[in-house]
Amino acid sequence: MSHVVIDLKASLKSFWRDKSTIFWTLAFPTVLILLFGAIFSQSSMRYDLHVQNQDLTDGKPTYWSENFITILNSTNAFNIQMVDASINATDYALANRLSSLLIIPSGFNTSANTALYTHGATTANITFVYDQSTSSAPVVQSIVVSIVDKLNFELSKGVEYLSVQDLAIAPKRFGFIDFFIPGVIGMTAMTTSIFTSVSISARFKQNGIFHKLATTPLKRYEWILSRTIYNVLISYLGMAVMILMGMAIFGMKMTLDAVSLLMVAMASLMFTGVGMIIARFVKDPDGADAAANVITFPMMFLSGTFFQISQMPQFLQTIAQVLPLTYVSEGLRAAMIFGQTQQAIMNTALITVLGIASIVVGSLITKWEED
Amino acid sequence: MSDNVAIEVRELTKRYGELVAVNGISFTVNRGEIFAFLGPNGAGKTTTVEILECLRKPTSSKAYVLGFDIGKEQREIKKRTGVLPQDFYTYERLTVKETIQYYAGMFDAHPDVDELIRLVDLEDKKDVLFRNLSGGLKQRLGIAVALVNDPELIFLDEPSSGLDPKARHGVWHLIDGLHKKGKTVFLTTHYMEEAEILADRVGIIHYGRIVALDSPESLISEHGTRNLLILKKTNPKAVPNIEKLGIKAKYDGTTGDVTVHLNHAVAVSEILHALSSTDVPFGELQLKRSSLEDVFLNLTGVSLGEEESGI
Repeated sequence: MSHVVIDLKASLKSFWRDKSTIFWTLAFPTVLILLFGAIFSQSSMRYDLHVQNQDLTDGKPTYWSENFITILNSTNAFNIQMVDASINATDYALANRLSSLLIIPSGFNTSANTALYTHGATTANITFVYDQSTSSAPVVQSIVVSIVDKLNFELSKGVEYLSVQDLAIAPKRFGFIDFFIPGVIGMTAMTTSIFTSVSISARFKQNGIFHKLATTPLKRYEWILSRTIYNVLISYLGMAVMILMGMAIFGMKMTLDAVSLLMVAMASLMFTGVGMIIARFVKDPDGADAAANVITFPMMFLSGTFFQISQMPQFLQTIAQVLPLTYVSEGLRAAMIFGQTQQAIMNTALITVLGIASIVVGSLITKWEED
Repeated sequence: MSDNVAIEVRELTKRYGELVAVNGISFTVNRGEIFAFLGPNGAGKTTTVEILECLRKPTSSKAYVLGFDIGKEQREIKKRTGVLPQDFYTYERLTVKETIQYYAGMFDAHPDVDELIRLVDLEDKKDVLFRNLSGGLKQRLGIAVALVNDPELIFLDEPSSGLDPKARHGVWHLIDGLHKKGKTVFLTTHYMEEAEILADRVGIIHYGRIVALDSPESLISEHGTRNLLILKKTNPKAVPNIEKLGIKAKYDGTTGDVTVHLNHAVAVSEILHALSSTDVPFGELQLKRSSLEDVFLNLTGVSLGEEESGI
């Protein structure tokens, strides 16, 4: 056991002294989180919304149309830009490549009053013009619909029907960052473990360190144990940085329990084994890195790190079902975000079994000595 | 196996498919001696030494290192031997001192680390990272690392390969120091000068076979050419004058040199005397000693330098 401690200390010391490795180990997940967090954190996001108010009297907005625009503004969800009432709104939207445009038609004020007096026998319509090829249009549409729904509800009760204090648009749910960070933690455990394992195995072989180690009483399993513990510790380091960042910058809500820690450890074990298997078949370090990329890249995208698997086409979902990283990401999400302990335990158990199998295979086929 | 024998090898063969890297060699290395395996790259030196270090398995052999069977008692052998592999390399970001401590830990040994650092003359560099050491200093550290377990037998595989002459002499000095401490050293090299200067006995290996094995002096006297006297920029008239003394001489038309094959019967002064009485001019005199290089050439038909680049 003392050999493991000695080798682990040497590896950690080397890691600490290799500032560029520290930087890249932590920079990749950090950049991903900052980037995706900034893009998808909707709390601070405002959408552009063009509004054409055709319901004017003597060039001035009618009572209802003006109030509706005020309500839209008060949600803080939009940067509202008014469009001149005299131009053709659809042509304008096309010409200016607008993703969405709201038209308050002439007679809106009258229709709204009628609807109110007849208790909804008739309705007052607004038109939502949008470009279905843009990603923001459905979001804007859903917010506008929510506002109208809320208004209708308020009006039918007859209380405060024009003032909207609290407009909860979406149901209370977890944000993208909550979904995203456990996925990136799983992904980082994968990339750290596979790349470290591949590059160390290939480099130690090429420059003769294995050769020298083989002349000492250090046993192969002791060395592999030390490298696995090292990979687990580096994955934990990445995990800590990501969680702290997610909480501090994006207000991520999560719990860190024993299951998620065990999952990260077992994922590191599994991917260390995978790295050793790759290194066995690729001789030089450059080729080994390329092979590691081929393995990690598809997994990164197909295992639900960035998108929910249910949003992917069916055949990709089938592929995702056989990728181990899928079970790592989903297990971590279940444990850290959704509190689904049972699913987390089941996924962790599966990864533990796969981890032990891969490290055993990796250990058996890794050779220090030549034939 | 007698107590005086450090390594005993009988009929060692190693095949890689069709290729026979080592072809039934037998030899013994005595305790306390420096034994060198001399041969070009690809001759089978490293394969042999790695089999003795228990890193490769022989196709067939009976071999004992320090009395232990290489097939069965590898742990005992590893504990008692030190190895400097070809181009020693280790964790790049450990210092000289940490590297020695690391390997000492692997042997569960507790050497005087500062003493080892002093031995290989790296006191000024003890806190320098391995990656920042020059080639010669890396090899010196490699030798210190090979000594952490105070081994009875040290394998040095091409210890000075790739080093500049100054660094090479530093390494030779170290190896000589080990010898003086009574260590047994098994050395492989393709530098004949290294073998000639350091080794008590030299095994010349060519295409997986030992073609000669003896002390450098005996090898030279048995297989070397005679010592040569070269008269630079002279003329053919010198040849008959020298041959009158009963020794062979040859004129080279392109260089204008005359080469005289010396033997014990005629002294150099007699040759010079014979020339001075005939007014044959010559630019300068060169005395060329026979070396292991000539031995290798005579035994294999090729020079060490030619083979080195070819394989």
